[in-house]
Amino acid sequence: MTELRDGNGLATAEKLYTQYGSRARELKASGKKVIGYLSALGPVEIMTAAGVVPIRLKGNVSEAISKGDAYMESIVCPFVRNVFDAAVKGKYDFLDGMVLPHQCDSIDRTNETWSYTLKLPYWHFLNVPHVTDDPSITFMKEILRIFIGTLEKFTGTKITDEAIANAVKAHNENRKLMRELYDLRKSNPPLISGTEMMKVLVAAMSLPVDESSALIKAVTKEVKERKPAAGKPAAKRIMLIGDQIDDVAVIDAIESAGAYLVMEDLSIGAKMYWEDVDATADPVQGIAERYLRKLKIPTTFVGSADTYEGILDERFGQMKKYVNEFKVDGAILFIYKYCDPYGFEVPAIKSYIEAAGASVLYLEDEYSTSSLARVKTRIEAFLEMIA
Amino acid sequence: MAEEKKGRAVATTTAAKIPKFVRGNLSATLKAKEEGKKVAAAFIADGQDEIMRAMDIVPAWGESFSGVCAAKRDAEKYLQKAESDNFSRSLCTYATCNIGFDMIREEQGGAMPEGAPWGGMGRPDMILGNGQLLCDPRFKWPQATQHYQRDVPVFVTNMYYPPWDPNVDHHDQEAIYVKYATEELRETVKFCEKVTGKKMDWDRLAATVELSDKTWDLFIDTYELRKHIPTPMDTGDAMNTMVPLTFNLGTQEAYDFYVDLKAELEQKIADGVGVADPEKYRVIWAAGLPSWFALGDFQYFNSKGVVFPVEVTYRGCEKVERLDLPKTTDPLEHIAWRWVRYWTHWYDAARKRPGSTPKVERIIEYIEDYKCDGAVFHSAFSCRSWHAGIMQQAATLKNVYKDIPILIMEGDIVDISSYNEADTHNRIDAFIETLAAYKKRQG
Repeated sequence: MTELRDGNGLATAEKLYTQYGSRARELKASGKKVIGYLSALGPVEIMTAAGVVPIRLKGNVSEAISKGDAYMESIVCPFVRNVFDAAVKGKYDFLDGMVLPHQCDSIDRTNETWSYTLKLPYWHFLNVPHVTDDPSITFMKEILRIFIGTLEKFTGTKITDEAIANAVKAHNENRKLMRELYDLRKSNPPLISGTEMMKVLVAAMSLPVDESSALIKAVTKEVKERKPAAGKPAAKRIMLIGDQIDDVAVIDAIESAGAYLVMEDLSIGAKMYWEDVDATADPVQGIAERYLRKLKIPTTFVGSADTYEGILDERFGQMKKYVNEFKVDGAILFIYKYCDPYGFEVPAIKSYIEAAGASVLYLEDEYSTSSLARVKTRIEAFLEMIA
Repeated sequence: MAEEKKGRAVATTTAAKIPKFVRGNLSATLKAKEEGKKVAAAFIADGQDEIMRAMDIVPAWGESFSGVCAAKRDAEKYLQKAESDNFSRSLCTYATCNIGFDMIREEQGGAMPEGAPWGGMGRPDMILGNGQLLCDPRFKWPQATQHYQRDVPVFVTNMYYPPWDPNVDHHDQEAIYVKYATEELRETVKFCEKVTGKKMDWDRLAATVELSDKTWDLFIDTYELRKHIPTPMDTGDAMNTMVPLTFNLGTQEAYDFYVDLKAELEQKIADGVGVADPEKYRVIWAAGLPSWFALGDFQYFNSKGVVFPVEVTYRGCEKVERLDLPKTTDPLEHIAWRWVRYWTHWYDAARKRPGSTPKVERIIEYIEDYKCDGAVFHSAFSCRSWHAGIMQQAATLKNVYKDIPILIMEGDIVDISSYNEADTHNRIDAFIETLAAYKKRQG
């Protein structure tokens, strides 16, 4: 990795963002095993404890799907298709294996398409439940233990509870550091722009946890040293909501229209970093609880409250909190086409956030910049509307 | 054209009873209130049938109602209503059709939307979802519905089976999955007891489960009569005759239906009556839900001498003895084993054929048993559950089995907007030409 030193955190993030996977490729060349994974449900603590390099996979919104469509239907989530296309084209040819957590039908139903096409030495489908009750926690622990067993077999090394507990600490520290960076978005104007933040988030998910933490620390130090600029009084503060948005294109569309992207609830962003793993006697217990009950993603069902309003708080309460803490004027709900888990939540999220005092723009789009002009027009119109 | 007019020789007369089943299920939801019964919005193949039947809970099958709307080509108004509140057209149209219907009814203070197909469906007292491997809408649809019916409690259970991995022996994992599914079913019972205010009658549940087992066995015995050449029953019929198994499991009516169907098929075989005359090509419906508004396409196939003696879709059961279920006195555990083994019992065969998968192994088994010449898949754009992965199945089938003719049709289950009959028939014609060439090559 580019050596981190004072003042080059953002430049390093930019490089890692632009050359995604470059560090994992280096580590592979040095003899490490690299495991790719999809979605916020990838249990990075266990991969770290196994001594492998976990890298969360992303696609390329600027590149048309040209090879993946020969294997995978166009009704599949456009993000999943794009990543698969990238993998088929060899972008991730340094991977030793992959973990597909059961987030949604688009992942579950294409598991065999991935595994039979890519033919990697290691493959694991992590059957994460969609329900969060007590039997589901027990079951989650069982499937995490199965996952641990397969990794042990693949690496030839025992994964001890101590190693898992240490990895939990390292990832909790990483999340804490990222939350501190998020705090720098609360000022007006925010000290770090939305595009810069996106590059840091993407860079961070491509690194081993210790390197990721070092990067975040460097960026935070650099950003803290910035002098607060005079805010544009009329600039609106926007929050972006969605699953894996991992490119600056949409954010640039927001910020180039004169608004600040001050917060997001994305699966590579706040959803990942807001909740830690509790230290539990059995470290797998804490991991199971975090991924099932703490992660606020639409494929883990919650609904135990007595009233519908209470259930909405359980499902989307963090968004209301962000609206207040980050002084959000408007939210953009950016949902990929063919996404049942997010798509069925749109009316509920929209009304919930509007009740919290922020206007909402709902956009359904592809994981592609091919429709960016239309997206920009919608965003500009939205910003004019809430001005 | 003369050939087309000859058409389908026979549909089963037993299938003519199906509209009565469907109407009966819908009207039961409307009459439930006056009978003092609770209605549960429910989803097929969720493992909860026997629990509902044993507790006198009336299932309101949203998928069935949306299918009826589609078959009557009367779904558009509901799809548009859902779309007006930002439900995308790319989402499951079973769900969005049903949600649109619910939205209209709620706006009317609970009054049935005017012109609702077959009288509409009753408002639920509860929603029983399932966060299972079958599809995401099974737990997202309940949440979305609750947005418009806020007083209706939702319970989502979870029933998984071990994922296929050619390098992992699933037998080691089955007990974990069964234990989990059993506990989840027990949670379902607790929820139903709370909503209904009644305790589960466990003896009645056990009897209901036993009846389901008998129905599964009878269903397979009946359908296996279709191996006969010429086949006495086609997938076009099966898309109807699946109703009792799929929507009325655990009832005597469902069992009796298959008694009648079996007798009819036996008679047809004795009389030498087939679906198509002459029967030129036998094809498997290998995957995918049908376009309910275009079931006539099956007749188009039949009119060209193509028959479907077997289908994967809606064959949601197996002879129980073939599943080798461990003995248990707990009916919930029995349901769980039956469910898990239903999905995993093709795994061993798949492991024996390098490069194969359980889904493909199932198709191969049917191709062999029913002497099929080709395979048809249907890819519905709004449903990832059944339709993502079809290309992989088709490619694997060719790689590990034979280079048989394959047709992948494209459409939807409910949304007619993408359907073009002429184009569809042209594709079918081209497929039949491929079948003809294939059979000629085979000699």
